[in-house]
Amino acid sequence: MTQFFQWVESLGFSVWVRESGSIWSYPVILFLHTVGLGFLVGPSVAIGLRILGVAPQLPVAPMERLYPIMWLGFWINATSGLMLLMADATTKMINWDFYVKLAFIGIAVRMLFLIRKAVFGPSPGMNRGIRREKTLALILLTCWAGAITAGRLMAYLGPVSGAPNLNNKF
Amino acid sequence: MLYYLDVFSNWLKAIGLSAWISHFEWLIPGSQTVHFFGLALLFGIIGLLDLRLMGFLKGLPIAQLTRLIPLAMVGFAINIITGFILFAGAPYMFSHNVAFQWKMVFIAAAGLNALIFLVSGLQRRCEALGPNDDVPVSAKAVAVVSMTMWVGVMFWGRMLPFLGNAF
Repeated sequence: MTQFFQWVESLGFSVWVRESGSIWSYPVILFLHTVGLGFLVGPSVAIGLRILGVAPQLPVAPMERLYPIMWLGFWINATSGLMLLMADATTKMINWDFYVKLAFIGIAVRMLFLIRKAVFGPSPGMNRGIRREKTLALILLTCWAGAITAGRLMAYLGPVSGAPNLNNKF
Repeated sequence: MLYYLDVFSNWLKAIGLSAWISHFEWLIPGSQTVHFFGLALLFGIIGLLDLRLMGFLKGLPIAQLTRLIPLAMVGFAINIITGFILFAGAPYMFSHNVAFQWKMVFIAAAGLNALIFLVSGLQRRCEALGPNDDVPVSAKAVAVVSMTMWVGVMFWGRMLPFLGNAF
């Protein structure tokens, strides 16, 4: 497996991200990752909090329009994330914190699908009731908090890349 | 301006705050993480309001979105606090960094923009509109400026280790 990851790291694109020193490679890709996070987690938190009863006068139904924004954020992050991963594959793929982050993201996205059916679906509120929706929302918010934490701490936990340009510590 | 920042940084160093913050290994990464929570809260809500003002999320009444502004302010407050902790950990490193300086300028601009929206009565006018109505052009301008400034803040923040003097 390590050989495969080394090969990925040796690709022209990966080398460019890691070693070009250009602001348009690693730094901008990281920035896009932050923007995608904002588009995905921001509206997600708004929906989750609304389900939990914050701002009860805000009508729930129009908030379904947020889903395309969230999916845009997801794909921005999947793409930028893949680019970041390629640049440092051998280190990241053996970092337990990275897998923790992916697990949190997977659960959170699953929650978004379940919430869409339960809260915005054809028979909202009829699917096993409010308590279940609130549980889904709580899991959603917890998982985003976990994903953000795990992501930020990737610069500090587990094997850290020795590549000089990939320093993501402040 | 830089002079006064330096005076402030000197004071932070003199009272031992910088050393104390650097002493706790997890205080800085922890503050960064919580800084991202505040960012998500602030940008998630303000971004939502801006998109509605720009006309993209018709169906959401503006009055209900502006009611979320206090919650966005909680996010901002979280970031002020964690931001101060991060700054105090290495004050000169930040105050002399061009990305940090621009970040502060952009935050001030975003704040001024929001203040104008409120004080001019434009916010009140928008709140009186229906869920599917278009807002006045000036409100759209406020929304565009707001979105640009906050994305800019995230940009400068992300660029801190990469622009200006080496970290």
